Amino acid sequence: MTHRLAGAIVAVTLACAAALPLAAQEPLGALARANLAKPRPKPPFDLTGTWFIDQRNSENTWHFNPTGPFKLTPAAQVHYDAAKKAQAEGKVYHDDIGQCWPAGLPLIMTRVWPIAMIQQPTAIYMISGFMNSLRTIYLDGRPHSDPDVVVPSFNGESIGQWDGDTLVVDTRYFVDDHHWIDSGIPASDQLHVVERIRLVNNGNTLEIGYTMTDPKNWEGDWKVTKRWTRVEDTDIAEVSCLPDLNQHMPSTQSTDNVR
Amino acid sequence: MKTFAAGLACALVWLTAPTALAHHSAAGVDQAKTVTIVGELKEFKWANPHSWMDIAVTNDKGETKTWSVEMTAPAYLARAGWTSKTVKPGDKVTVAVHPMKNGDPGGLFVNITLPDGRVLGQAPAAPRPPQ
Repeated sequence: MTHRLAGAIVAVTLACAAALPLAAQEPLGALARANLAKPRPKPPFDLTGTWFIDQRNSENTWHFNPTGPFKLTPAAQVHYDAAKKAQAEGKVYHDDIGQCWPAGLPLIMTRVWPIAMIQQPTAIYMISGFMNSLRTIYLDGRPHSDPDVVVPSFNGESIGQWDGDTLVVDTRYFVDDHHWIDSGIPASDQLHVVERIRLVNNGNTLEIGYTMTDPKNWEGDWKVTKRWTRVEDTDIAEVSCLPDLNQHMPSTQSTDNVR
Repeated sequence: MKTFAAGLACALVWLTAPTALAHHSAAGVDQAKTVTIVGELKEFKWANPHSWMDIAVTNDKGETKTWSVEMTAPAYLARAGWTSKTVKPGDKVTVAVHPMKNGDPGGLFVNITLPDGRVLGQAPAAPRPPQ
């Protein structure tokens, strides 16, 4: 009996020792010192700063209007037509953002609030002034997560790779509900966003070319280019969508809203 | 004063037509129309993402309704001269708003006329880009 116990202890000890190298191979966090210290080519630009959607030519630049031929799926068309009808009647259609659901990508990028961006060698962190939404773009060479493990989110999982003077960001793994690209145009868990990010105008303009697909909601590629201006006179404050605040917003509380 | 200057005519006095820093759709708001309400301030909340005011407004029939007026974020109110103490409950205020299309008592803030005659609006949402 004593020998059996001793044998068991030895076996467990050996198993633990064998597992240690595996543990050491766990992926490093983006801010792990060992990850930050890895040698990497110097990036062509640094997005660190505060940015605001460029509205100098129009206040409507936050809309993600598609360019070129564009066709919604029948399921999405039902939402789109209902939203147009509601709009014609002066009503709000499924304003989930007004009910405190996150805006999600891509709309979080063009909300009329500044976005703070902090670039590290391994990741870019974006904190929107709109509800303090956090978006992380990983630059450390990691692949996308296992789809059976990843937790779907409103901003998705973003992996960036440098391509000359452009950062190409691939984002997937979105939630499947309460996520809209515009009024009446839903986003699904099949949404896939590719962004080609550049800094132009002596670093004062951020330009992102979007190519979005979502076979549940539209056919083909949804392409649009957006620009942001660098702003130096503002910071990101704590902003939360609170139920008691919403109670004093007639536009979110209206019984005419289509929910 | 039972003033409910529910003028459906556009107010003559307004400072700017700022982009609202809204966290929601403004489709239910008639932004082409401005009405002026006069009443007693019940509450003023200095908060993100919106500040707001509740104002008790009595109409010519003696009926009192509470108007909820949505404002922009404090950072942009401050740029227009506001502080958290600019108004307080009990103040008699004159406020121009873009009203709700469906007639609900409420709307988006345009400007306020303070007892001392000053008129305060709200600054545009877009921060100033580098020169």
